[in-house]
Amino acid sequence: MSDLNSDTKKRLQLEIVPQRLLKPETAQVLLNAILDLDGIVRLFIHGPRLPGTVPYGPAKGTPLTHDARRLIEIEGNTMELMVSVGSIRLEVTDADVKEQVYEICKKLLPFPFEFREGNFMLTRQTVSGYARFGPNQDPLMIGLTDPKGKLKDQVYILKKE
Amino acid sequence: MAYKPQYYPGATSVAVNRRKHMSGDVEKLREIADDDLVMILGHRAPGSDYRSTHPPLAEMGEPECSIRQAVEPTPGAKAGDRVRYVQFVDSMYNGPSVPYVRSYSAAINFRGVDPGTLSGRQVIEARERDMEEVAKFQIETEMFDPALSSLRGATVHGHSLRLQEDGVMFDMLDRARLEQDGIVRMHKDQVGRPIDKKVELGKPMSPQEAAKRTTIFRVDNVAYRSDKEVIEWVHRVFDQRTKYGFKPE
Repeated sequence: MSDLNSDTKKRLQLEIVPQRLLKPETAQVLLNAILDLDGIVRLFIHGPRLPGTVPYGPAKGTPLTHDARRLIEIEGNTMELMVSVGSIRLEVTDADVKEQVYEICKKLLPFPFEFREGNFMLTRQTVSGYARFGPNQDPLMIGLTDPKGKLKDQVYILKKE
Repeated sequence: MAYKPQYYPGATSVAVNRRKHMSGDVEKLREIADDDLVMILGHRAPGSDYRSTHPPLAEMGEPECSIRQAVEPTPGAKAGDRVRYVQFVDSMYNGPSVPYVRSYSAAINFRGVDPGTLSGRQVIEARERDMEEVAKFQIETEMFDPALSSLRGATVHGHSLRLQEDGVMFDMLDRARLEQDGIVRMHKDQVGRPIDKKVELGKPMSPQEAAKRTTIFRVDNVAYRSDKEVIEWVHRVFDQRTKYGFKPE
C-alpha cells in the first residue's frame, strides 16, 4: 500500500469558492471554459446534494424535481448535476495554468470568489479505499469518490489518454 | 407611570428590530390568503374542517377548577383542535429573524403556543387554528422575507449555506422559487409535497433592505460588539448566572 503514492505530487491543487451557489448555466460555462485549457488533470465539483426523492420527513420518498438538478453539457458529454455547485477543486500541471484558471473565473463569475492553492485531494489511498479498490487503483482516481460511492455515477472521464 | 416593557437593550438597528419583533409592533408587508396558508402548511386540505382530538370544552363538562375559570382558553383549545406545527428557517445572510427572536415573538404576543428554538430553525406548536394565526402574522409582516426565510418542516440546512445566484436561500427540496417576474412562489408545502397551485409569497427584499430589517448581528453589517449596551447586559446576565447559587462555606 505504501508504494501507491500518487504521481501528482508536483502538480498544483486549486480551489475556487464563489460567494454564491452557482446556477447550472453558470456552472456549465465556467467548467467548459476551465476544461478547454490544457493542463487540467482532474476536477471536483462540491456543493449541497440535490437528491432525486425527498430523503426524510413526512414526504419521504416523494419524487423531487429541483431547479438546479439539470443535465449540463461538459466538453460534449452530457451529465446530470447531482449537487448545487458550491466550490470547484482542481489539479493543474503548473502555475501558468493556475493564472489562466484565475483569469477565467474573474471573467465569468458575476460575484466575488475565493481562489486558493493548497492540498485538497488525497495523495495516497486510505485504508477503506484500499479495501474497496485494491492495490492497483489508478493514482488519478484516488480520492475522486468515496469508497461507498459508485465510480461510474460520480466520475466522468473526459479525455481518455 | 404605566409599566412599559423593555424587550431588548441596545441602540443599533439590529437591537431596534429585535425590540420590534418581540413587541409585535412590526410592519405588515404582504397578504397571504387563508387557503394559501393552509395549503403551504400542509396539515389539512384547504376549506376542510379542523380535525379535533377532543370535543369542544363547552360540551366536555370540565371539573371545578379556579385556574380554568381564570384563564380563557384559546379558540383552538376551546374547539378541541389537534396540535400542529409551523417551522421557520432564516438565512444567516441577513435573514429577517433569528430562532430566538421568533420564539420570543410567539411567546410574548400569542397564547397557547409552544415555541421550540433550535440553531437553524424555529418551530411553533399550538392548536391548529392558533398556529395558523401565528404563522399568518409572521409571514405577512417584516418577520419574513420570501428569499431569506422560508417555511420548512424538513431539510432546513440551507440557512447556513451561501445564497443561490439569484439571492434566494438554498433549499434542497426546492419549495419556493424566484420566478422570471421577480416574485417568489411556493409550489410545495412545508415538507416538500407538491401542492395544487403556486402560492405567491411576494417580491424579495433588496440586499440593502434586508440588511436594514435584519435581527442578526453580523460583522459585515452591524457587528455584535458595536452595540455597547447589548454587550454590557450580556456580561451582566453571564456574570449573575455564574455567581447564582455560589455559596462558599
